Amino acid sequence: MNGFQDDLTGFADDYALGLMSPAAAELFEAVMATDPALAERVAHIRDALIPLDLSATPQTLPAGFAARVQDRLAHVAQDHPPARPAHMLGVDPTAPPMAANLPAAPVRRWMAGIAAALVLGVALGFGGALQRPEPQPVVMAVLLDDAGVPRAVVSDYGNDTAQIRFVSDIDVPQGFSLQTWTLPSAQMGPQSLGVLDGPRATLLQGPDLPDPGNNQLYEITLEPEGGSPTGRPTGPIIAKGLAAVQTGI
Amino acid sequence: MDDHGAQRSRRLEQAIQACAEGHPEGIDTILELEGSQLFGVALRILTRHDLAEEAVQDAMVLIWRKSPQQRGPSGSARGWIYAILRNRCLTILRDGRRLSSMSPEELTRMQDARDQIVPEEGWQMLAGSSRLGDCLDALDDPARRAILLAHVGGFSHGEISARQGVPLGTAKSWIRRGLASLKECLS
Repeated sequence: MNGFQDDLTGFADDYALGLMSPAAAELFEAVMATDPALAERVAHIRDALIPLDLSATPQTLPAGFAARVQDRLAHVAQDHPPARPAHMLGVDPTAPPMAANLPAAPVRRWMAGIAAALVLGVALGFGGALQRPEPQPVVMAVLLDDAGVPRAVVSDYGNDTAQIRFVSDIDVPQGFSLQTWTLPSAQMGPQSLGVLDGPRATLLQGPDLPDPGNNQLYEITLEPEGGSPTGRPTGPIIAKGLAAVQTGI
Repeated sequence: MDDHGAQRSRRLEQAIQACAEGHPEGIDTILELEGSQLFGVALRILTRHDLAEEAVQDAMVLIWRKSPQQRGPSGSARGWIYAILRNRCLTILRDGRRLSSMSPEELTRMQDARDQIVPEEGWQMLAGSSRLGDCLDALDDPARRAILLAHVGGFSHGEISARQGVPLGTAKSWIRRGLASLKECLS
């Protein structure tokens, strides 16, 4: 077992046992959402340990519990289904992976803040030959606030499509909107990827931009409702981060 | 899995699918099938009815919210549901602001109750008559206890090392090696 695999197993174990801090766990979930093989690994441990949950003595829920839950659900927006960018839609998800056409073991790099909820450079790698042909981001960026706390994860698929997921709550004052930006090059300046309908997972369809690259800047700013009036960021930066390329190394 | 278990799994999967399609009745089905067991798990970890009730309620909201993103066969529906609940319990348990609002007596009471979750003797009842129980039995005592403290008690690495009177690194490596043996035994 190599170092990558050790790290991966360790993270999956810690997550399944509940040994990660809440912030790190949320970040790990964002990573898992784009990596079915990693999700599978966690699910395997989880299912193996389920007899431990079933040994708790059942307790009757208080009267009216289900109705109270339904009251809350009426006010909760559901997350969007996972991103399936247009250029991947041609892939038949039922077709077997064409391993012969893929690199033997593409290893993706994640920037993930796992240890002590701080973002450190952590590499998670995985042999891709057994994976279903899921869309793969070209780059990922973990966006941090001033205090270094992870706030959101951007997966940019190229083709002017990106997915943003939030990993902690962001307070958006009345009359303001969150807007996502990227800086493809100093010459182009910041380009809007879209105004968000609140701090929730959103598929962004940006303007026609060059393919994202390593260390490309992504950021979220607080703008007047409906987005920046100038087409450039005007408000305070809520979180920002640099992209890491996800394709094979 | 017996027929009853298979039927339950199917119903839970359908309930999550219903949620994913925007039908909140799916949550009612989950509560009907698993509600009292989920409440039992939450109460075992949190030891207080109000907190446990909050955890189950939050878990149902999270299941509702995340269901459209659940795709493909990443383990069982039941495993997913319990994982969400346990994570919610841990978040409540590790919420410093909430703990600081509790009185010293209340905190002590909660801590004392939590100390009883994983008994020194008779851990077998925690695994029931499962294959998992046999595999846990094959582990060294400290590794088994560390894993049970984490999963059943919801204790952190730091708390586990303090309870077992060993350095943090030792507790971590017990857990890591214990889980590796456990997975091998179960496979």
